[in-house]
Amino acid sequence: MEKAHHVGMAELIVVSAPEMLMTLGLGSCIGLVLYDQAAKIAGMVHIMLPDSRGAGEKAREKPGKFADTAVPALINAVCSKGALRSRLKAKLAGGSQMFALPGAETDFLAVGSRNAKETINLLKKEGIPLVNSDVGGNKGRTVEFSTVTWMLTVKVLGKGKTEI
Amino acid sequence: MEIENFSNMQLDAMREVGNIGAGNAATALSVMLARTVDMDVPKAELVSIYELAEYYGDPLKEVSAVFVRSEGEFTCSLIFFQDEEDAQNLVDLLISHQMGGMVLEDIPAEMRDSALTEVGNIILSSFLNAINVLMGGTHSISVPGVAHDMMGAVLEVIASIFGQTGEYALIVDTTLKLADVDKQISGKVVMLPDPGSFEILFGKLQVL
Repeated sequence: MEKAHHVGMAELIVVSAPEMLMTLGLGSCIGLVLYDQAAKIAGMVHIMLPDSRGAGEKAREKPGKFADTAVPALINAVCSKGALRSRLKAKLAGGSQMFALPGAETDFLAVGSRNAKETINLLKKEGIPLVNSDVGGNKGRTVEFSTVTWMLTVKVLGKGKTEI
Repeated sequence: MEIENFSNMQLDAMREVGNIGAGNAATALSVMLARTVDMDVPKAELVSIYELAEYYGDPLKEVSAVFVRSEGEFTCSLIFFQDEEDAQNLVDLLISHQMGGMVLEDIPAEMRDSALTEVGNIILSSFLNAINVLMGGTHSISVPGVAHDMMGAVLEVIASIFGQTGEYALIVDTTLKLADVDKQISGKVVMLPDPGSFEILFGKLQVL
């Protein structure tokens, strides 16, 4: 079994086959994978928040943190390792709402669904096909991407594994 | 006000807020269960939001967490979380103490969850009451939310509170631990002031 590279919060990692990518315990965050099967290249980014507006200069230092900076950064990163822009495909998982508090002013608790929506919109704008996704709900996810099968394995506590 | 530039005196003041809040929370838990509750010295630490998932250990560990929001002049979030096993031990203890005669195995999962949410709610409300006294004024408290999940996923909520405006979270926490019980029961009370609330808080505590 190949060693899996762990993509921490706001990190962005690109690998070539047969290496694996993984992210542990995604809650409201998004694990986005872009891959080019022909070039055997894949990259994963661990997106925390939807929108870098108001974050200023710091958004540039950690492009993986916000969806609007992470998507272009990941495209550039995989392409600079040999992936072809026009062959890129995407898979993603995450964007849960871990807590729901009826009646409270809690925009930040719903950040998961905004993360998912924003990321999916950005992929559409970039013209990258989203092959499959597993987003929303109220459970955390652990995801693992194989550059052999090109499948994203999503594990949810108490519900087992699914491959997308 | 940049979190990473807080002075030691300001962090000490936060620690003291944690101390007063957690002291009250420990008393409430002790009264509820008629057991002695030990409390660790509270901490107030600046934690990089990128390292939150590992801050309390293995991000894949299953935890139970109760979350509330408090709003008013000073706005914060509060979390009471524990290992899932400890949480279930706590429910067993609560049920056998409060509802003597019920067979533990007969208690449906929803009722266990409801008991757990209520314990968390009482602990966190007691914490807040102490803050209200300290700060003056009243602060509302939301309905509690509960999650049973991987610790890393649960703690991401902290990143979403602090992430938009900065790179660090201020975490005020303490561990409450039940004494004289057969099975280990401990839990962490965590206070997370909203980034916009620090000035008001430090002003009141005269450490601005």
